Amino acid sequence: MILGVYDNPDKTYAATKKLLNSGYSVEDVYSPFAIHGIDRLMGIKRSKLSVAAFLFAMTGLSLAVTFQVYVSYFDWPMIIGGKPNLHIPTYIPITFELSILFTAFGMVTCFFIVNRMFWGKNADIIDIRVTDDLFVVAVNVQQNKTDIQALNQLLIDNGALEVRERTKE
Amino acid sequence: MEHAEVHIREEKYQISDGNKKWAFGLMIVGLILAAIGYFTYHPHIEGLGEHDLHHLIQKRLLSNLLVNGYFFFIVSICAAVFISISQIANAGWYIAIRRIPEAMSEYSLVGGPLYILISIIALPVLYHWAHHGIMDAESLNFDAILASKSWYLNVPFFYIRMVLFMGFWMFCAHLFRQYSRKEDLVGGLENYKKTYALSAGFTVVFGFTFSMFSWDQMMSIDAHWYSTIFSIYNFATGWVSALTIMYLFTHYLRGKGYLNIASDEHQHDLGKFMFAFSVFWTYMFTSQFLLIWYANIPEEVTYYTERLFGSYNFLFFFIIFLNFIVPFFVFMRRDFKRSRIVGFIVGGAILLGHWLDVFLMVMPSSMNIATNPTDANPTGIIKVDFQGIGLMEIGFLCLFAGLFLWMTLKALTKANLYPTKHPYVMESALHDVGI
Repeated sequence: MILGVYDNPDKTYAATKKLLNSGYSVEDVYSPFAIHGIDRLMGIKRSKLSVAAFLFAMTGLSLAVTFQVYVSYFDWPMIIGGKPNLHIPTYIPITFELSILFTAFGMVTCFFIVNRMFWGKNADIIDIRVTDDLFVVAVNVQQNKTDIQALNQLLIDNGALEVRERTKE
Repeated sequence: MEHAEVHIREEKYQISDGNKKWAFGLMIVGLILAAIGYFTYHPHIEGLGEHDLHHLIQKRLLSNLLVNGYFFFIVSICAAVFISISQIANAGWYIAIRRIPEAMSEYSLVGGPLYILISIIALPVLYHWAHHGIMDAESLNFDAILASKSWYLNVPFFYIRMVLFMGFWMFCAHLFRQYSRKEDLVGGLENYKKTYALSAGFTVVFGFTFSMFSWDQMMSIDAHWYSTIFSIYNFATGWVSALTIMYLFTHYLRGKGYLNIASDEHQHDLGKFMFAFSVFWTYMFTSQFLLIWYANIPEEVTYYTERLFGSYNFLFFFIIFLNFIVPFFVFMRRDFKRSRIVGFIVGGAILLGHWLDVFLMVMPSSMNIATNPTDANPTGIIKVDFQGIGLMEIGFLCLFAGLFLWMTLKALTKANLYPTKHPYVMESALHDVGI
């Protein structure tokens, strides 16, 4: 992988566009904040996290309803405040809360899994400076096929502060 | 970042013949329908004499005026609240559509005085606490509970509050429009800073005054009953309706080729707002209902027994369907928030639902006939069943909707369709919610 380090989001955007137009395969662009439009440029697909969120919410909802109906109607019916044992309004708060809880936990878990982050793993940061003020464009190279010299020149021509090589992990 | 070519156009809205036909058509048809409805309404209810039935016709007329006057007034004020909240949040995305809430707030110039007029006629008829003799210990229909609230619920104080609050909101809305239109001429940051300072003050004052306003106007129709969450529930109704109208106007104007800097991205954000605040409305609605239902205290449940077990039962569940089920499950999808057809269907459902919501706040309480208490009927109140959604209801809705449409469209012609010299206009034109 060849990394081009930039100090400006506009330069990063322009360099990425140039690389893609020249037929290079851009592995990823690393940035301390969101660069508008770069996701469209790189052709990143819409995240399926919202579908996952909906499914988690439905899981929470059905578990909450099942549990409450089982407890308050089948297993141990109790009369509280003269209310019927099987009645929708009673279930609203807990169902609502559990749907949210499952969504939140589920999405965080999904996020960790998708980003391959788990406890005890060493953070694999492409360049420590992207967590502060610099931007990195990572370009894939194929052994003996990519003209490294031309690629380096292209990155520097588009305003790279430095260009270096890094093995892909 | 790549900057697309942005052309800031100075364009004003041109009222088309179709607009005139619709706005005035709605008003005229509405007035005719309402008149037909009024003169053909001959209720026959057991236990009510000739005098009471005559009274009921008046009550239905005034209740309808009150529902529409209140609904459209709070919608137009909530449009001003949208400007002030976006301003103090330093939001940039909404600049492309900012003139739409500004134009909507201009309805209050007509709607406000009209509402005060309606209130002057309706107060002695619809509000039980304002009836003659309620607060008078000598009188036959003396009500000790209402009399103990007379320090707050008395006619002069009611009107002082009403005029002060409405006057303040309308004045602030006027200043928002004025600063914004001045900015188009002179540019610079001066008007932006003034709007910022005014917004901060207006939002705080609005929060407190709107609470009292909703107690006065809506909650005191049934003055024995009270709910502490009622004002925020009312605000949710007005706020989500205002957002929906903005959303529909944006679709309409973009369809006509105006608003060249507004895109699907702005539409999407307004759609998210509608989705979120429909859920917020449901939260408030459920919180109010659930606590009262659970506690089951006689003086609190009266409000819901009328609506839930009486003849209003269908409407009660219908508004939950329109205001929660439809926006929640349809607008959850990203492409539906951007779609014109789906947007119009969901927007229509939300507006109808919130109008019916206000209808349901007013009607069951205001249509009751108050008589002198007897041993058989110690409260002295004779409940009247739901009289249906008739020509009067539809007529007055059309009349006010036409008026609102006309005032808004006319206000759109007065200034550029978006503030061309606002500091954030470029940010709004390049607004992007991502993939």
